[in-house]
Amino acid sequence: MKTLLGVLCAVLAAASVAAIFHTNGYILGLFVAALTIAGVALAWALLGNLGGMISLGHAAFFGVGGYASAILAKSAGWPVLLAIPSAGVVAAMASLVMLPILRLRGAYFALAVLAYAEVFRILATEASGLTGGAAGLLSIPRIPSGVFGLSDGIVAYSLVVGLVVLLAVCYDRVRRSYSGLALRAMQDSEAATSVLGVPVFRLKATMLLLSAFATGVFGAFNAHVIGFLQPDYAFSGDWSILPMVAAIFGGYRTVTGPIVGAIAIYLLDQLVFKNLVPQGHQIVLGILLCAMILFSPRGLVPIITRGRSAVSKDKDARHVAA
Amino acid sequence: MLQLEDVSVSFGGIHALSNVTFGVEDASIVGLVGPNGAGKTTLFDAISGLVRLTKGEIRFNGRSLTNLAPHHRVRAGVGRSFQVPRPLRELTVRENLMVAQHFGGGSDDEATIDKLLVFLELNNRQHAMAATDLSLTQRKMLEIGKALATRPKLLMLDEVFAGLETAGKRSFSDLILRLAQEWKLSVVMIEHDIETISRLCQRVIVLDFGRLIADGTPETVFEDPAVVRSYTGAGTEDA
Repeated sequence: MKTLLGVLCAVLAAASVAAIFHTNGYILGLFVAALTIAGVALAWALLGNLGGMISLGHAAFFGVGGYASAILAKSAGWPVLLAIPSAGVVAAMASLVMLPILRLRGAYFALAVLAYAEVFRILATEASGLTGGAAGLLSIPRIPSGVFGLSDGIVAYSLVVGLVVLLAVCYDRVRRSYSGLALRAMQDSEAATSVLGVPVFRLKATMLLLSAFATGVFGAFNAHVIGFLQPDYAFSGDWSILPMVAAIFGGYRTVTGPIVGAIAIYLLDQLVFKNLVPQGHQIVLGILLCAMILFSPRGLVPIITRGRSAVSKDKDARHVAA
Repeated sequence: MLQLEDVSVSFGGIHALSNVTFGVEDASIVGLVGPNGAGKTTLFDAISGLVRLTKGEIRFNGRSLTNLAPHHRVRAGVGRSFQVPRPLRELTVRENLMVAQHFGGGSDDEATIDKLLVFLELNNRQHAMAATDLSLTQRKMLEIGKALATRPKLLMLDEVFAGLETAGKRSFSDLILRLAQEWKLSVVMIEHDIETISRLCQRVIVLDFGRLIADGTPETVFEDPAVVRSYTGAGTEDA
């Protein structure tokens, strides 16, 4: 019920944005970019929060997803809407080579994933016959538009909203399941959890595959929105760092945190900080993130939740006093 | 039920266990004693699959456990507790038991969890509490409860009496006796208190420097000069 209510609220909020900005392609484009980051942030949190594995290399899955979908649609002639989920599967398959590093923990795991991301970037550069090499792929088929007479921007926006909501619902389902409980428990002690019958390695591997699949889907979506790909762009460290920053800023222990965080930091950066400090506006973002970690390490969503419960307590107190 | 044959475990050049061979019968309580560093906890880790055997074999109800992952051993019926309780800290007491029941016991039966909470005397307000908010005694109860929720046939208890007051020790003694007599479980317990071991166990196994040096009734074992020398340190001057 709570999940359904959350989905309804998200869809309503998204519809309001679409209604207000449907004629403003620039703002709608910013929302599409913010929600793409939100999707990757959510996928990152799936691994980081539930799996307890902090990844510094989600750009690997994002890039593989982007290239896979672009090649399937451009070279093999697949429909874009079929190529996008297939690219998720390719990204999940690419994550299989990372299974051995699931035995690593903490910084060792994070650095190993970072190294994998670099390997994929080099592969994309060197396999020029397939990927176009350093020059990349141009004229990648766009997301089909013209559905019900809607503009390209609205179609892309609606699709990314749908993908983010779907991922959030899946995340919530996993979190509330027995596997979710076990995953949370594993972060304390894998040994203590394994002697309760929990298949520790299998659960961690499942989280890695899910996270890679979701990231690959958003990478594929992004490739069809912007229409071109280069290794340095598709596998850029930004696709690892920005979603992580968004998730931490919003509160990566919650389902809504990464989404709220991504929208907040991206829109603040593009609409406010960029105007205030045209050169080096990311510095303001960095300061904001430091402040958030110092004053509310659990992120933005817990602050909002605390504020709301304080207001409701205050109302209750006034009601009792009256 | 449980049979260890020539079990050895080494960490680098250190032999934590050397050629340990013994068996455990159904519904019996066996004490495992020995000085610190004798290899008692390593033996539990070897049986539950947390460390690899260098040599030997472990069989449980006729099935080899040697190459099974820890979670498969749990499903085969091997349950254990840790010396320092390791509750699943992010979860409530009830959730701790639910995870164990779901994965280890292969069922999701709320009624069984309720009965278990009553059995462990954690049924008042404690079941909804975070596991970290429990007292030491309650944490130790939860530690046993998690193992019981996996529906074990063999329960390995690692120093459950350590740090408990007299009343707590009495509760745990009664509980262990009930587990063997009513639940028909085999219990292997690591314990330093000779009086407790003598009262509860029909049989005692003594380890020293990773080797099994005695196996028998408490009366015979605790009078064995080799045990007296290694376990209590007494008699060294006489030798």
